[in-house]
Amino acid sequence: MSLELKDLGITEGTDMILEGITFTFDPGRIYVLMGRTAAGKTSLMRAIAGLLDFTDGDMYFNGEDFDVLPTWKRNTSMVYQQFINYPNKTVLGNVIFPLLRSGVNMPEAKAKALEMIDKVGLRNFVDRKPGELSGGQQQRVAIARALVRNADILLLDEPLMNLDYKLREQLREDFRELFTSTKDSVTIYATTEPAEALLIGDELLVMHEGRIIQSGVPAEVFENPNSVTVAQIVNDPPMSILAASVSQGTLSIGHALNSSVPAHLAGIADGDYQVGFRASDLAIGLDGEMTVQGEVDLVEVAGSETLIYLNTPTGYTIVQEEGIHVHHAGDKVAITVSPQRAFLFDLTGKLIAAPGN
Amino acid sequence: MGTKFYKRLFLLPGLLLLITIIIFPLLFSIRVSFSSWNVSRSGLDYVGGANWTRMVSDADFWGSMLRLLNFSFGTTLIQYILGFALAFYVWQGLKAGRLYRLLWLVPLMTTPSIMAIVWRSIFREDIGAANGLLKGVGLPTIGWSTEIIPAMFSIYVAEIWQWTPFMFLFLLAGLLILPKEPFLAAEIDGASPSRTFWRITLPLMAPISIGAILIRLIESSKIFDSIFVLTSAGPGNATETPTYFLWKRSLTEFQIAYGATLALTYLIVMIIVLTIVARVLTYISRPRGW
Amino acid sequence: MSKVLKYAFIIFWTLFVLAPLSWAVVTSFKTPEAVNQGATFIPWVQFDPTLAGWRDILGISGYTNLIPNMINSALITFFASFISVTLGGLAAYGLSRFRYGWKYYGNSDIIFFFIAQRILPPVVLAIPFFLLLKSLNLLDTHLGLILVLTSGLMPIVVWLMVDFFNQVPREIDEMAMLEGCNPVQAFRRTILPLSKPGIAISAIFAVIFGWNDLFFALVLTFANVKTLPAAVVALNGTVTPFWTLAASAIFSILPLIGFVFIVERYLAKGGFTGAVR
Repeated sequence: MSLELKDLGITEGTDMILEGITFTFDPGRIYVLMGRTAAGKTSLMRAIAGLLDFTDGDMYFNGEDFDVLPTWKRNTSMVYQQFINYPNKTVLGNVIFPLLRSGVNMPEAKAKALEMIDKVGLRNFVDRKPGELSGGQQQRVAIARALVRNADILLLDEPLMNLDYKLREQLREDFRELFTSTKDSVTIYATTEPAEALLIGDELLVMHEGRIIQSGVPAEVFENPNSVTVAQIVNDPPMSILAASVSQGTLSIGHALNSSVPAHLAGIADGDYQVGFRASDLAIGLDGEMTVQGEVDLVEVAGSETLIYLNTPTGYTIVQEEGIHVHHAGDKVAITVSPQRAFLFDLTGKLIAAPGN
Repeated sequence: MGTKFYKRLFLLPGLLLLITIIIFPLLFSIRVSFSSWNVSRSGLDYVGGANWTRMVSDADFWGSMLRLLNFSFGTTLIQYILGFALAFYVWQGLKAGRLYRLLWLVPLMTTPSIMAIVWRSIFREDIGAANGLLKGVGLPTIGWSTEIIPAMFSIYVAEIWQWTPFMFLFLLAGLLILPKEPFLAAEIDGASPSRTFWRITLPLMAPISIGAILIRLIESSKIFDSIFVLTSAGPGNATETPTYFLWKRSLTEFQIAYGATLALTYLIVMIIVLTIVARVLTYISRPRGW
Repeated sequence: MSKVLKYAFIIFWTLFVLAPLSWAVVTSFKTPEAVNQGATFIPWVQFDPTLAGWRDILGISGYTNLIPNMINSALITFFASFISVTLGGLAAYGLSRFRYGWKYYGNSDIIFFFIAQRILPPVVLAIPFFLLLKSLNLLDTHLGLILVLTSGLMPIVVWLMVDFFNQVPREIDEMAMLEGCNPVQAFRRTILPLSKPGIAISAIFAVIFGWNDLFFALVLTFANVKTLPAAVVALNGTVTPFWTLAASAIFSILPLIGFVFIVERYLAKGGFTGAVR
């Protein structure tokens, strides 16, 4: 019961929306689609659901041509990022609907529906209409409705995007629990948040401008992004990319910082490169051999961390600090760089070497 | 049974019914405009563009088109202003607003031709209410159907009474959908009511206004019922509009071929004029950076 | 100062709205003598009210009977509106949800085609319709008028409903399709219940325009099938008995007002405010 995509593409006039999508999704696994907005995640999911026609390539499910089946004959569920529920049905009515549509009789449907409603924690709201519920509750109804019939394919399109921070964290945990009940389904989950990918996904697909540019176990992709683009997508906040060069055993970062070539970069040919640093691998104001002068551009307090955006002579950098620190725009600070945490990319953006963990 | 089947199922019944009902008459009109079918000679012969040349120099026809410009644009403009004022006051909050709303909608639920009869009885020179009131306060009576301006006035009154409620309804619905934020911002910035109206309310209402105006222009261009009943296009042909003129030629004088020619010309002119008006209105109301 | 103007305007307009109607009501109770004396306004003071006018139009005095005409109008309007709202509503839903096209023509061209029918003044189609109905033996029949009116009413419905459907999030019917409904079932079960206001408005406009038609009734019907507006206007022909005219005016206006008041309550409840936040 695998979903197989072969060279799938969607072209609308002169716009390329998807291109060359080739992948096999196996049941019982959770696939996370990551990419920026407009990378093609939603289009891909809608194509799988049958809501969007594709122009090139093939799609097979369980060996059979999926393309000939209209949406209502594909056994697929979807959760949207805007909370979509049937507004004139109650919560129970909403969750029961898909079961009744697939021919389950009323008593059994009711039991299954109530069980799922329990699982998402909305037992007390069975008789309410979606309009009377909060955003988080509405989305949970949508999730319950999508999961209750154990469809062959389960699609979730950034389901947590419109919820607030706390709710997102909580539901993320709930997803791990909920997805154990969908053992036989192909689950595809789209998001822009790396944390969700790491937490939920069995396999990660990184999408950019309509193509899949890397796939693999999430941790793998994190440790070895195959290009600057991937590195930017899977890191939040994005990596700081600086110019660098290697020459006779010396790694020169941004023509300002020189160090001996670190272990993981031993044997690299001399030449010009780019290096990338995770925001959490940079620090401010510590004593150390490797510092670059920077001027604070912007300070952002996010949750329990502070993000500092800085201009440096070597390029624009972002530093992530634990806790809440006070900095002002225009402050001149020293940024500590750890060469052994450098990701090395060639000038085209391809990964040469990554630091081990 | 794929998506294509259902796609067609939804649209085609209605579309095909419409096409069948309209297409034959339209094609027939085109064909007959090249014939000379009239009261003495029925049947489809071919006379080339004779009717069309006649149409170009038909002063009466073009006169009626000009008069239509007057009636259509004039009544629509007045209806817009009055309707907007009414909608505006209700939107701002009016005591007994709901009552007024229902009351002001009544004209929309009346039959124009029948109301025209009522207006006729009001504007009758001898026993009508209008002259009766004038006499009562010592003013001279007016020849409502014998003089041009009063005749036009009576048409205007009937049309404005009948259709301002439509503008009222339409514009009120538009006002009710407006977002609150711009108004809150204006209030905080200390804008005067007049400034708020001209700089915020009116521009925000631009799309709805254009829609309402276009609809009324289209509908009022067909004005027939009130002309037919109230003035019979009189005095003379002072209030003769294209629809009445066409009706006279086609259906009372049986100049079927020529009537068809006039009708098609009318259609083409209307489409052109309406497109121009739509473009102009959209252009005027495009957002400008302040 | 502006407040005085505002209230003056409102009162003026209200009186203006009521004026012709009250004149008609008052006149409907006048005797021929009262009418011909000149304008009179106040019953019992300036003239003696009588039910003669009403008796005349309701078949009681043998002058004429407008009740069959009202029934004709009701039947014809009902069927024309029903067909228009049904087929027009379905077409509007299709135009809202699907992409149609043939060479360079797309949805908006199809919608324009519908709306363009309203630009056509009835007179353009009068003769052709006359000949068409004649050849189909549908002149002076209910069915003939129903078909012709439908062509004028469907555009209104389509125009109103396309806009309306566009505002209902399409994710809802998508969801229904994902859950096993074909488009018709999706429409029936999910969108239709939410469409009551849209249908109500379309129905009101269709009924109003259908009921008020004078032109096609004049041209395409004669003896057997006379609608109310046609009948009343025919009364206006020779002698102009204003008292009966006034009575018939009031008589013909009441059904429409009644209809609108009944349907008006469906306009209040929207229904899909809870679907998407």
